[in-house]
Amino acid sequence: MRNMKHESLFKLAVIFLGNIILRTEGLSIEFGALKAVNNVSLSIKADKFTAILGPNGAGKTTFFNLVSGLYKPSAGKVFFKDKDVTGYTPQQRIHAGMGRSFQLTNVFPALSAHENVRLSVQSAAKVKFTKLFKSYTRYTDIFEETDRILKRILLHDKADVRAGNLTHGEQRKLELGMVLAQKPEVLLLDEPTAGMSIEEVPIMIDLLKSIKDTGETTIVLIEHKMNMVKALSDVIVVLANGELLCEGDPETVSNDPAVMAAYLGGGVVHVAT
Amino acid sequence: MILQRLDTIRKIEVVIIVALAIVLLIVPHVAGTATVTMVSRIMIFAVFAMSYDILRGYVGVIHLGYALFIGGGAYFVGILFTQFGVGIPMLLLAVVGTSVYSAIWALIVGKISGKSGMIATAMITMAFAEIMRSLMTSWFTVTRGADGLPFRVPPPFNDRTMMFYASFIFMVIMAFLLYKFTKSPTGRVWQAVRENEQRAIFLGYNTNRARTIALLVASVVGGLSGVMFGLLNRFVNTDLLDMQMTINAMLYSLIGGTGTLFGAILGSALVVYFQNLLLDLRGVHFIFERWLLFIGALYIVVVMFMPRGIMGFYYDWKDKRAQKKRLLQEAKLPPQLNDEA
Repeated sequence: MRNMKHESLFKLAVIFLGNIILRTEGLSIEFGALKAVNNVSLSIKADKFTAILGPNGAGKTTFFNLVSGLYKPSAGKVFFKDKDVTGYTPQQRIHAGMGRSFQLTNVFPALSAHENVRLSVQSAAKVKFTKLFKSYTRYTDIFEETDRILKRILLHDKADVRAGNLTHGEQRKLELGMVLAQKPEVLLLDEPTAGMSIEEVPIMIDLLKSIKDTGETTIVLIEHKMNMVKALSDVIVVLANGELLCEGDPETVSNDPAVMAAYLGGGVVHVAT
Repeated sequence: MILQRLDTIRKIEVVIIVALAIVLLIVPHVAGTATVTMVSRIMIFAVFAMSYDILRGYVGVIHLGYALFIGGGAYFVGILFTQFGVGIPMLLLAVVGTSVYSAIWALIVGKISGKSGMIATAMITMAFAEIMRSLMTSWFTVTRGADGLPFRVPPPFNDRTMMFYASFIFMVIMAFLLYKFTKSPTGRVWQAVRENEQRAIFLGYNTNRARTIALLVASVVGGLSGVMFGLLNRFVNTDLLDMQMTINAMLYSLIGGTGTLFGAILGSALVVYFQNLLLDLRGVHFIFERWLLFIGALYIVVVMFMPRGIMGFYYDWKDKRAQKKRLLQEAKLPPQLNDEA
């Protein structure tokens, strides 16, 4: 009964607050005594660019790992499009429409850039494993889509280069392309500019802006670079010590005293990530 | 490094492969029985090593109990022929039985490798082969234990030349099938699993399923090579289930080039030929009695100078040449543009 009441309340909230695509409810995980993510309830609206901020060790990446299914939460739930996906495997979440990238570059280093993207397109096209006798080159639609994505992430002239031989910035773009290929409805980006040189950052910002402008997916971004966050975000969420500190539009958040305290070291334990 | 996107096979390579095939087909008409048997053995071991390469070179499973398949296939043939009579129906039964037996092992190993890591899988599979070996040793009334089981084979396989052609056809079909599989969408996923399993999961692939399919393919082909080996050898003992057989498969594919599939053919040819050659040299000097010493040296030389094996070395050379060509073309471009201007 209580649950039903909850759901109808949620539907009411949808009507008043706009379309919520991703929602967490009391999401928590503990590693021993450390509460890495502690009771985080968050609603992410579709078509709004959300940035998650927080000092090192605030639990941002862990939060992503919980949402994407890499870790099982010790408490709490994840809802995607109003459906409880807490028990889903990472693969099921991907096919449901949740894409994610990683903070540390995570590609297939010995395969070509083309093949990295192609594998992602192939997964989205749901080619069955039993198709053992058909050559992969005969899936022309997959090849066309791969070329389209490579052009979009500006790597089409590097298609035949081994991913491990690309520069760091190119690898980050490649990763973005691999996630885009999944055509996700929500895109969890974990510091897409981590380790990028200063010259490369604007290209990534432009790329993210173009994705945002097409409205094809809802982006949730973890980022440290304030200029980037300010340039892109509609909503900013601040995490500290695994807890939700503050949520709102950029102006409100940057003037929030709790946020200022957290960033200036007021009671925040700094843990190297 | 530039990769050949569509892995195009060049004309000269086709010519070389066809020429090699023709030479192979002439062998039984010009060579003695010993050579014919040796080449048949090479071709059967090549299939065994190629199927092993699917696991180690493509999907990245280290299977230390791979002798389960060549030994299992050979025992199926041996036991059925000695217990129920020699004949083609029994051979077909052996093929079906071996396929089912190999598939069951593949499913078991697939479950284990999905749950535990690469090292645990390696250790557990090694234990499986040892269990099978001691079972076959203990089942003395049927298998005659370590003494081994001699048996007769039905025509046309009792003829050395026919057996040679059978092995040749077997190798060609299996090489074609395995090559086809590695070029299928699933085969591409195998490589992704080997490279970075976590990423493959986050592309939405069920990596356990992909790995199990690779295990099924490799195990069944490995088992069938055991059936062929039984037909060729007309004798099976527990040595076929020994760790040494797994190491042989590993050695053939390593020397030929891990992850290149056809490298396994080269590796098996080189090692088996070398081994026979050394044994023939026994009369010259007693040191050649210890032929493993020289195989070890060959292995060290290959690993030092061609860490990706013979085929890997060739592919790297091809890549480098393509890259050089591209760089030369790029260097040539500006003057041409100037000329046009």
